[in-house]
Amino acid sequence: MLDPKLKQALAMVQKPGRYTGGEPGCVYKDKEKVDLRFAFCFPDTYEVGMSFLGEKILYELINAHPNWWMERAFMPWLDMKEQMEQLGIPLYTLESKDPLTSFDIVGFTLQYEMSFTNILAMLDLAGIPFYAKDRGEEWPLIIAGGPCVCNGEPVAPFFDVMQLGEGEDQLQSLCAQVEQAKKEGISKEELLLRLAKIPGVYVPAFYDVEYEEDGRIHAITPNHPGVPAVVTKAILKDMNAYKPPVNFVVPLIGAIHDRAQVEVLRGCVRGCRFCQAGFIYRPMRQRDAEGLDQAARDLCANTGYEEVSLTSLSTSDHSQLEELLDRMNTWVEKEHVNIALPSLRVDNFSESLIEKTTKVRKSGLTFAPEAGTQRLRDVINKNVTWEEIERTCTIAFKAGYTSVKLYFMMGLPTETMEDIEGIADTAHRIVDLFYAIKDKPKGKGSVQVTISCACFVPKPHTPFQFCPQDTMEMLEEKQAHLRAAVRSRKVKVNCHFSDISFLEAVVAKGNRRLAPVMVEAYRNGCFFDGWDECFHYDTWLEAFKKCGIDPAFYAYRTIGLDEITPWSHMDYGVTHEFLVREYQKALQAVTTRPCNKACSGCGANQLLGGPCFEYNQNLVH
Amino acid sequence: MNTIRIWFTKEGDASYISLLDLQRAMGRCLKRSGLPVWYTQGFNPHIYMTFTCPLSLGQESLVESVDVKTEEESPDFEEWKNRLNPVMPGGIRVTKVAPVVHKGEEVAFARYTIWTRQPGGEEAVRAYNQAQQLLVEKKTKRAVKTIDLKEILPRVEAHLEGDKCTFEAVLPAGKDLNVNPTLLLDSWQEAYGFPARNWNILRTQLYTGKMEIFC
Ligand code: SF4
Repeated sequence: MLDPKLKQALAMVQKPGRYTGGEPGCVYKDKEKVDLRFAFCFPDTYEVGMSFLGEKILYELINAHPNWWMERAFMPWLDMKEQMEQLGIPLYTLESKDPLTSFDIVGFTLQYEMSFTNILAMLDLAGIPFYAKDRGEEWPLIIAGGPCVCNGEPVAPFFDVMQLGEGEDQLQSLCAQVEQAKKEGISKEELLLRLAKIPGVYVPAFYDVEYEEDGRIHAITPNHPGVPAVVTKAILKDMNAYKPPVNFVVPLIGAIHDRAQVEVLRGCVRGCRFCQAGFIYRPMRQRDAEGLDQAARDLCANTGYEEVSLTSLSTSDHSQLEELLDRMNTWVEKEHVNIALPSLRVDNFSESLIEKTTKVRKSGLTFAPEAGTQRLRDVINKNVTWEEIERTCTIAFKAGYTSVKLYFMMGLPTETMEDIEGIADTAHRIVDLFYAIKDKPKGKGSVQVTISCACFVPKPHTPFQFCPQDTMEMLEEKQAHLRAAVRSRKVKVNCHFSDISFLEAVVAKGNRRLAPVMVEAYRNGCFFDGWDECFHYDTWLEAFKKCGIDPAFYAYRTIGLDEITPWSHMDYGVTHEFLVREYQKALQAVTTRPCNKACSGCGANQLLGGPCFEYNQNLVH
Repeated sequence: MNTIRIWFTKEGDASYISLLDLQRAMGRCLKRSGLPVWYTQGFNPHIYMTFTCPLSLGQESLVESVDVKTEEESPDFEEWKNRLNPVMPGGIRVTKVAPVVHKGEEVAFARYTIWTRQPGGEEAVRAYNQAQQLLVEKKTKRAVKTIDLKEILPRVEAHLEGDKCTFEAVLPAGKDLNVNPTLLLDSWQEAYGFPARNWNILRTQLYTGKMEIFC
């Protein structure tokens, strides 16, 4: 039976199904009989959160323990937030509908910087104090995981614990410690000291940050004995030892990615210098085709999904991809399932691959050259050449494809107007290529090329962490230049960047001094910052001013190669020396080979305790 | 080819699933059940499904139904029910699987149990019973027409039980005239000030034009 107040609220909001739970696959337990209750919080809407694979992995793993119960909470949309505040409904989980304060652990996933204020909104809706230092023994343990923990410093003061790296083992160890602590009745401080010994667990309060007068960091030092000076991320050494989840909660109202997902590999061999994921998930590890096929089949049977996607940062780098597709093609048609292959790469797109996927589904082609000229692609180490684009498009056009979407970034280090013209040029050449092909299928006479431009944001743990971001004025100038350079009606330009990317850069490279700014901005109405219609740039600027912080210091300043960064006590396996080396190679437009062809000594192999690949075997097709 | 009707409840959490979402969810549930349902032929095959007289969002029901087809000669209805129930979302319970007797478009009336625990419900019922007329505007596909609710539903009987006030109403639910209970309750809100969202609506029966129970 739904609570009458909740019913009243639901009668007033759009898409009430976001707030009810009850989806197939959802786990219910008797709360009186479990030893540990975990609220997994996704700081964005239900539809965004339900697309996220990480939550499904942990939901299945934690709930497999009969005496632990993980439930889900999402950030309510504006209308529901307002109703909840008016009617005094605290933020609750979808399964038991209990408020977050009834849980032992409240965990947030940090997927992107622009969701940080939603964490504050969710804590606020639950009546939980923001700062860890203001929460006594009676409050749940507030923890964070996810990629943005790699520089979670701007939000570190809000969390008791942050988890670096991969959560599968780590979160189970953490839950076991919390369960034990409850039994023993030890203090939070004692618990935190125990937790700090788990690989990848970072307790922000155990580290003091000292600053130089100019705002740079002087030192980051542990203030408790036995706490590591540098926290090294947790990692799964063998992906095959962990079966991908075969049960999903299937959303009733849909999600952004509403399909079965099987993670074929983790990490990426490519080493694109702008890509944070490419560095923090190193080394690349893959699952065997046989197990993946079985997992995909089980997952489709358990969920009833009509589409399964083979997900990863770079699925076409899986060395057994063709074998996997062959296996899957023996059952997908009979089971009424389509295969979706996201993140196809230009450079290893083969005819047989196109055939194996288009057998079940044909859609537009998307490529991400990221930069318009070969020089700049070398700078960012995006190993894509025009010849490869040409070859792939030729294959695709002959197979009947008529639309191509190209992703680029603007504001990359060393970029000039010539590189911007190169973007338009690439699109024009693809249009020309289409009309030059004589043996296209009938009725496929016209082509559409879409250029999609995002704005480059330098990220921690990448070789470009040292680089400043382009100013808004520079980016606007470049955008105008691009539009002027496009001559064909077959080419469409989508440039979507705004002040949001400036704030993203500030927060990405921020330090703990940003925490009060976040609180101030939230108090003045900033949340859902990643949603254009909710982003209030002026309110943010006022918050910075009020807190005496200059945002430009974080976004527009070159970081010295020997400077102590806010994230220098967080080790993701990649050495500082390697990042410096890659940065210097970038400035000279020298590329680095992918990990599966040659190891360039980034240091991440130390995490595995041996080489990342067997180089006698050619893993690249 | 057999057409069979799956009867289900739609309560609690499930009352917030819209028809569009219900269609997708039901398709996936049928797929998970592994039952031999018939797929439409052609380029993009999907499970054949027809829902009878779908509910509005937020209302509950004991008598929802969906028709599917199967090539099974003599389906074991009990078996169908038992395989469907474990794969349904929370708030949806399959009550019966049965052969189709009436066509979906034969539905003409629906019975509702409507209740509230908020003070003021009883007064709203009394005010309605005393009214001579209650005119509401009803949008149809082509025009807006005015109907008198008192002609359709002359009076309702309020039952009191603790703080709970309940009444029953049989309202037109056919293709010629369809009066959603929210139309009634919205008009009460306007006329007597009792908020429509404070009422809970549960559909308990469907009837044909001859007032036979739809099945
Ligand atoms: S150690 Fe070598 S192979 Fe392994 S991730 Fe680093 S560069 Fe790649």
